[in-house]
Amino acid sequence: MSNTLTIRKLTKRVVICLAILAAVMCLCCLTGTQKISLEKVFAGPGKTAGENIDYEILIGVRLPRVVLAALVGAALACSGVVLQAVLRNPLADPYILGISSGAGLGVIIAIISGISGTFLGGSPIAISAFAGAIITVWLVWYIGHFTGKSQVTNLLLAGVVVNAFFGAVIMFLTSIAKSEQVYSTIFWLMGNITEKNPPVLWVSAICIFAGIVSLFSICYRLNAMTFGEQEAQGLGIDINKTKLFAFGWTAFITAVAVSLSGLIGFVGLIIPHAVRLVLGPDHRQLLPISAIFGSIFLVAADTLARTIVAPAQLPVGVITAIAGGPFFLALLAGYSRKVGWLK
Amino acid sequence: MSSIIEVKNLSFAYNQESILNDLSFDVTSGQFLTIAGPNGAGKTTLLNLICGILNPAGGFVKIDGCNVKSYSIKKLAQKVAVVRQEFVPPFDFTVEETVMMARAPYLGAFGFESKADEEIAALALEMTETIRFARRPLAHLSGGERQRVFIARALAQNTPILLLDEPTSFLDMKHQTGIYDLLKKLQLEKGKTIVAVTHDINLAAQYCDKVLLLGADNYHIGKPGDVFTTELLEKTFGVRIFAVNFGQEKFFIPSGKLAKPAGPNRTTSFIPDS
Repeated sequence: MSNTLTIRKLTKRVVICLAILAAVMCLCCLTGTQKISLEKVFAGPGKTAGENIDYEILIGVRLPRVVLAALVGAALACSGVVLQAVLRNPLADPYILGISSGAGLGVIIAIISGISGTFLGGSPIAISAFAGAIITVWLVWYIGHFTGKSQVTNLLLAGVVVNAFFGAVIMFLTSIAKSEQVYSTIFWLMGNITEKNPPVLWVSAICIFAGIVSLFSICYRLNAMTFGEQEAQGLGIDINKTKLFAFGWTAFITAVAVSLSGLIGFVGLIIPHAVRLVLGPDHRQLLPISAIFGSIFLVAADTLARTIVAPAQLPVGVITAIAGGPFFLALLAGYSRKVGWLK
Repeated sequence: MSSIIEVKNLSFAYNQESILNDLSFDVTSGQFLTIAGPNGAGKTTLLNLICGILNPAGGFVKIDGCNVKSYSIKKLAQKVAVVRQEFVPPFDFTVEETVMMARAPYLGAFGFESKADEEIAALALEMTETIRFARRPLAHLSGGERQRVFIARALAQNTPILLLDEPTSFLDMKHQTGIYDLLKKLQLEKGKTIVAVTHDINLAAQYCDKVLLLGADNYHIGKPGDVFTTELLEKTFGVRIFAVNFGQEKFFIPSGKLAKPAGPNRTTSFIPDS
């Protein structure tokens, strides 16, 4: 059976995809309104600040932003993969268990109350988004478990209801907020990548990387879980432990991503499907490759967002939806003969 | 022969509604047991108790001399494989990917199969004659083919015990006998202990060594010829039944109130044309 996935085959594919990611990141670093010469960049930062502008733009402004986009893209795509498997629902995305509305509510409360100060280099908006996301997921998990022991349907329903309720509260708060507060809230809700300082990047990179590796370790269990929970238990998998692990880590990395960049839609839904269409549903391959392509997609989308209407910038969420939707539909049409659940 | 499955004074209830009450029987290693009975008598519940998914309200199930609940989920999956009524997942796994999942109870931290695992899966595909569509997605198979794939998966799990929940429902006659032939082959060639829940008592009787007839408030266990009698079946299922003798075997045909009358005698002897 030469068709089965082996570590060697997977490693080869991951390395190829990482090379593509590196190339895209380099390309996007060099793209922008300000022309940059590589020669000048390699000359180093120079003795005094402002001596080598090209270096400062590339290393100080563009690179952190590209890295940030890559991190967020990887986290969202991974969460999407795992949640689609655990909930056995192709429509699941990282926000399905209420993360989006919880984080949104946290952010609008932070903006309206005007609190200031930082924590681990994170702004009050980031911190409250993270807190709102985690609290909401916990709430949804609690309600879902309270109503039925292991029914994923209850969990999905709880997520939808909490999303709708918090959405209404967000609307209410927006309607009583001042106009400049409304503006920054809306920009955040549309998903917006901005420059962050290095400590924030380091902390989030470590969190997200730890999350992806942890989730990778349960991928073979996710394969069995798509066949149903009793089936999975028959194959020797502790479903409650696996579910808790999966929900915990996806909530965590999604919350980190959301606190960095707001609500970027589409990545967590379409990247897993696109990779699955091309490479098949084996999660041990789907998860790492989706993470890499989530990064590639978001890095490219963010580069578009900051150049397409330069010197102004678009929220990246607008680009992911506008570019991602048709791209995904085209892929779906091309591969639909291969996809069983569409029929 | 030692008993590989031992069920003792087993009781189970869903929300105080008693399903199984004081059930005791055992299955020796390498035996083929059929569980039959009306809907709602608790056949699937019994299967779930044997494979540890449900907890008994009283009594116990022992596998290989140890209580089912004392096994870890992983260890139990190395003893018992279950084939359930077929479920096709929302994502398109191929036949070989599906069968390979059976190796999950034996995998290490990150869950990659070794060469040996691959060989075991390939053998299972070959034995169940599913190897010729190994690369096809599950959704593109017929019900009978898919059922064979799930049996292949249970086989690749390398367990001494195989539990099956209505393996032949929704299948045509050819595929029904195909599945039972396959199960018999696994019993005889691989020494598997097979426990199958079924509604098709005529077919099951031709293959199994032992029968558990599970009624709403009683049960009978024994050889097919002793348990499958017109009297016991009529009492358990609550329907009029005709028995037809054909050679050594006895076949049972249910007859509803409005069915065409089938002769004056309830037990007719069928004499084959010579």
